[in-house]
Amino acid sequence: MLQTIFVGLFGIAAIWFGVVVFTTSSMVRSALALLFSQVAIGAMFLAMQSEFLGVLQIMMMATEMSIMAIFMVMYMMDPGGLMGMDMTHQKRISQAVGVLGALLVIGLVFLVGWGPIAGSVSPGRQVHDLGIELMERSMLIFETAGITILTAMIATIAVALERRR
Amino acid sequence: MATLIVALIIGAILFGVGLYGSLSQTNLVMIMMGVELMLGGAAVNLVAFWRFLHPEAYSGQVFVLIVMTVMALEMAVGFGVGTARFRYKGSVEMEEARDLKG
Amino acid sequence: MTTAIVILVLLAGAYVVAVLEGWATNGRLRPAGPALDAVALLGRESVVTRSSDRIFFEVGPVLLLISALLAAAVLPLSPGLVVTDLATGALFVNMALAFVMVALVMAGWGPDGVYAMVGGWRFLGQLVGYSMLIVMPLTAVAMRAESLFTIRIVESQGALWNVIFQPLGFVLFFLAALAVCFLPPFDLPTAPGELAGGVMAEYTGARLAIMRLARMVLVVTLAVTVTVFYLGGWIGPVLPPWAWTLGKSLLVAAVMLFAGRYVPRIREEHFLQWFWKFGIPLALVNILYVGIVLLVVDK
Repeated sequence: MLQTIFVGLFGIAAIWFGVVVFTTSSMVRSALALLFSQVAIGAMFLAMQSEFLGVLQIMMMATEMSIMAIFMVMYMMDPGGLMGMDMTHQKRISQAVGVLGALLVIGLVFLVGWGPIAGSVSPGRQVHDLGIELMERSMLIFETAGITILTAMIATIAVALERRR
Repeated sequence: MATLIVALIIGAILFGVGLYGSLSQTNLVMIMMGVELMLGGAAVNLVAFWRFLHPEAYSGQVFVLIVMTVMALEMAVGFGVGTARFRYKGSVEMEEARDLKG
Repeated sequence: MTTAIVILVLLAGAYVVAVLEGWATNGRLRPAGPALDAVALLGRESVVTRSSDRIFFEVGPVLLLISALLAAAVLPLSPGLVVTDLATGALFVNMALAFVMVALVMAGWGPDGVYAMVGGWRFLGQLVGYSMLIVMPLTAVAMRAESLFTIRIVESQGALWNVIFQPLGFVLFFLAALAVCFLPPFDLPTAPGELAGGVMAEYTGARLAIMRLARMVLVVTLAVTVTVFYLGGWIGPVLPPWAWTLGKSLLVAAVMLFAGRYVPRIREEHFLQWFWKFGIPLALVNILYVGIVLLVVDK
């Protein structure tokens, strides 16, 4: 019962901050609202007793969204939001598509029979078991992710490098 | 059961908000923020499935780790492309990026 | 009860560190200095800049204080005196320290002033440099303890402190800790003399008091972190455990405050070069070295 309340509260916070991302006109506020939305998602992970993922999500998103904030200040026309420009296109269509997508998924949630609900888990063993899973069964996935990260880093630097004349 | 339904509904609404943002914004950075919200909603669903349906199978958490990795990577590559575009054109508005050449 | 004791210890530590910083900066030891300064600050007029982003302006200093207190919540002062013994303790410290970054970006952008903004974005550049070095040495520490519980990490140093077992990791983590709490030579966000106080420039009155208090609590928290992860926490022969923790933390804080003042302030590009090109490979070498020693040498 308490878990449902916490998951619900953090979820409503995540959704509210997510809506603020697209309705505010200040760009830095938008980036930091996304940060707090992701932190609320991380808090939902913590409420659902997956401690490692929650802490990791909050830590990663704090750093990522701050970097996104400076990129917004660099590339957007009105970072302070004091001029009140409206920078959207096809607004009606995208609203309809967004609402339709959400309703579709919610309908699926209620129509599918989810099966038996499992009991509780203990956080103490979780970090150890997650480590064992990563190192034994999912080692190939982890190594592929590592190579993908390296490739993405090299590709990004190559794309963003200034051409020498 | 109630917690699972609540978590899945929240994941669905996050996905919807992210979808609205990705489709309605003209700036590359804002589109990427919409994609981040969609991936966040998917991650919420995955953790709910892991916790309430199969807590003994840690491959659910590995899936979420990979989704988080993808979130970081698409942001990095997106900003690299945005930097190159900004250098060429002076703005990252997607409305101006209609032509294939240049 | 434990929470109250830990908060009191942190505030007392912050007071002592403030006296030490006054001694390091001015050269005079004034034991009542911080108390008098706090009373004077609280009595001063509180100025808000003209077109500030009000939410960020208010939340910045408070978030800095909250992040420092959160990081201290998982650090054990003695075997029973820890606010919450989380299973991911070592990672939780890094999570809380990541919000120092968010707080300084808010404090930089909020006041809508040039010096504050330059200071805030400079700290973002600093984060790009130190963020790897504050996590990777902890990987090697957790490898030795085979757990992320902070209590187990201290207990794993019973035979040999981590500072002797992994000296390279200790040096890297110490430098990264100096960069996190923006002490000289890494004080780019505040840069007294160059940025006229940087992120703290536009804050006056009670908000400045909170920001200075938050910075001191951050220094104390990082000193306790270095103690817990590398100097063997509460392990020591004669005195009670909490006395050892506090003594070692005080020593680390004193070194952090005094040693950096003999080096000129490091420039942003040099900072990034040194920390990325040398720091990260050295951190990886540290992990390799600790792994080899743990697997080959019998514990």
